[in-house]
Amino acid sequence: MTAEATTPVAPAPVATSDGVAVRIISPRRLMWWKFRKHKLAVASAIFLILAYLATIFAGFVAPYDPASRSRNLYAPPQGINFVDETGQFHLQPFVYGWKMTRDLKTLSPVYVADTTQKFPLRLFVQGEPYKLFGLIDADRHLFGVDEGYFHLAGTDHFGRDLFTRLVYGAQISLSVGIISVFLSLVLGLLIGGISGLYGGWIDNFIQRLIEAIIAIPTIPLWLGLAAAVPRDWPPLYQYFAILVVLSLISWTSTARVARGRFLALREQDFVTAARVYGASQTRIIAKHLVPNLMSYVIVTLTLAIPGIIIGETALSFLGVGLKVPTVSWGVLLQESQKVQIIQFYPWLWIGPAACVVSVVLAFNFVGDGARDAADPFSR
Amino acid sequence: MQPPIATADPILAIRDLKKHYGGKKHWTGAVSKAIRAVDGVTFTIYEGETFGLVGESGCGKTTLGRCIARALDPTDGEIIYSPEDGRDIDLATLSPRQLKPYRQDVQMIFQDPISSLNPRMTLLDIIGEPMVVNGLARGKEVARRVGELLERVGLRAEYMVRYPHAFSGGQRQRIGIARALALNPRVIVCDEPVSALDVSVQAQILNLLQDLQAEKNLTYLFIAHDLGVVEYLCDRVAVMYVGQVVELAETSDLFARPLHPYTEALMSAVPPANPRAASQPRLLEGDLANAANLPPGCHFHPRCGYCVERCRTEEPELREFSPGRFVRCHRAEELRLDGVAELAEAGA
Ligand SMILES: Nc1ncnc2c1ncn2[C@@H]1O[C@H](COP(=O)(O)OP(=O)(O)O)[C@@H](O)[C@H]1O
Ligand code: SF4
Ligand SMILES: [Mg+2]
Repeated sequence: MTAEATTPVAPAPVATSDGVAVRIISPRRLMWWKFRKHKLAVASAIFLILAYLATIFAGFVAPYDPASRSRNLYAPPQGINFVDETGQFHLQPFVYGWKMTRDLKTLSPVYVADTTQKFPLRLFVQGEPYKLFGLIDADRHLFGVDEGYFHLAGTDHFGRDLFTRLVYGAQISLSVGIISVFLSLVLGLLIGGISGLYGGWIDNFIQRLIEAIIAIPTIPLWLGLAAAVPRDWPPLYQYFAILVVLSLISWTSTARVARGRFLALREQDFVTAARVYGASQTRIIAKHLVPNLMSYVIVTLTLAIPGIIIGETALSFLGVGLKVPTVSWGVLLQESQKVQIIQFYPWLWIGPAACVVSVVLAFNFVGDGARDAADPFSR
Repeated sequence: MQPPIATADPILAIRDLKKHYGGKKHWTGAVSKAIRAVDGVTFTIYEGETFGLVGESGCGKTTLGRCIARALDPTDGEIIYSPEDGRDIDLATLSPRQLKPYRQDVQMIFQDPISSLNPRMTLLDIIGEPMVVNGLARGKEVARRVGELLERVGLRAEYMVRYPHAFSGGQRQRIGIARALALNPRVIVCDEPVSALDVSVQAQILNLLQDLQAEKNLTYLFIAHDLGVVEYLCDRVAVMYVGQVVELAETSDLFARPLHPYTEALMSAVPPANPRAASQPRLLEGDLANAANLPPGCHFHPRCGYCVERCRTEEPELREFSPGRFVRCHRAEELRLDGVAELAEAGA
């Protein structure tokens, strides 16, 4: 930390005789240098990139099909071992099989590791067939076992692999954040831009509308809107309906930032100069205003994504969002809402909860780093 | 310094120009008072001269300059421009489309070296855009001309691929000057182009502006709040007070003998190392009048040391005191005000 404080933001540029740096440094690179200083933000960004990659290649990353059932119901996570029961070290990690007995009082399954069954773990194993991107037939998985079974995060009441379901759930939960943020980007830029550019009664109307929307507590509003989505819609329609419900609120913050930046930028002398040399309104917006407000908008968006992910989770958890057979983190949490599960099979709620918390935290860290980097000229 | 004014042709004639902000009736019935930032300004700028505009901060200089460059729409009045073909055109009333051919002729240099350059554009784009927008050059030709302009303002042509953040304040002002020159204008409105710079850099920029003027026969409307700069650079000076011209004269006349108490006050406050300044009773006191709520009579009377009863009730007109000298004061004839020369003598 101390070493970091003394290193300058950018490698010191060599100056020529008239004091102009030799290296050409674009504003974008300046921002990157500033962002890079936030180690936590960089680590979070890498984590998020990996998470989104995993959702794109979900079939490959997940060892099983989300719907396929094994005979092991409510099996806890299998630990990965390098050292076997005799104390001997193996370079190739392996897992033990489960031996199931039943608790005589509750009749619930109790699993103990069966040291006679060892399943070595391998990369790129052949397993259950899936369609990559929904198009290409494939059966290779990132990791797995050739024989036996491997449930990294345990199984649920049907014996479905929870890790697989978390990966497929991320497809829904993470894409809701991104897509709805893009919707709010378009809405927010458009509405905020109009508001800031034209001013007058249009601005007044839009600002009052935004205040009205913000004044309503988010969760009840989401609940009301989500509850209005017909129950019998197919999952895809429900997904988009929830998406729209979530975006309906989150565009307001983007619009506010866009409007504020538009107002501030409009007064900058370089915009006046452009007007004086006869640049058209469209050109001024496209070349002078939008490039200068994008960094701020991106920061707002990054900070808005976690709210939306939590929104989806909350709605599904409360039973008005997505529903089985759709898999999302919220749906997984909703499924584990039983006292029995909370008490005896905690991995079923810890898994999805840990996913939501880590992704939300990561987005916040990235947003914090981006906020500082957005204005690279302030030192 | 310059050709005698009498033989030069008018290039811009400002007639009773006004720019008011606000002053609309609110739907609740309340009427907000208009801010009269520019309130009936009249003067003529001749081709090839440097016309100075001075006054305290907030007196409406920037607003006036921007109206003349048509970055703002004037509320009322005329801006008669005389293009080279000898016609007279009122820029104040033209629509954006009609205005476009004349935009090239009147350009601006700004006060703030930071906000006057788009941080997301390279110098090539910053200086080249005016040419592209006005169809003066395309492709490689733009880069060639930008290189020439950069060299003309004292920078290196290869800097065109860089972004503004790499340059110092003085260098940024040079870039702003190059952008203004890109369209070969006839008139440049210079809005305090050196007041944000270090004193050591100021002189370099002023010299550059003077060289360019001689080379390209430019006409400057030079805005400043510093009388020293004006004395050094301008042929004629208009002194502004809350949106109005209170005195207009040739620079030497003005400095030798100001006619308006406000001009005298500005001079007593400004001259470098004036030994009498500390004990001067006529230093400028009080605040600039509120442009939304002007005092009755002479707008300067609450701060004027020569105020009499008449000043409180009757508003003075801008009148021609002697050929080429205008003043807005009831007592111009009777007062004997101190100019810079006398102060310096008295102090010596
Ligand atoms: N956009 C605006 N809206 C309202 N009032 C303004 C605006 N621009 C300038 N003014 C007011 O007009 C007056 C003159 O300002 P300005 O022309 O910037 O003065 P100067 O350049 O002499 O310092 C000031 O009182 C200022 O507050
Ligand atoms: S008119 Fe009166 S108050 Fe106004 S400047 Fe002249 S002497 Fe002063
Ligand atoms: Mg100003």
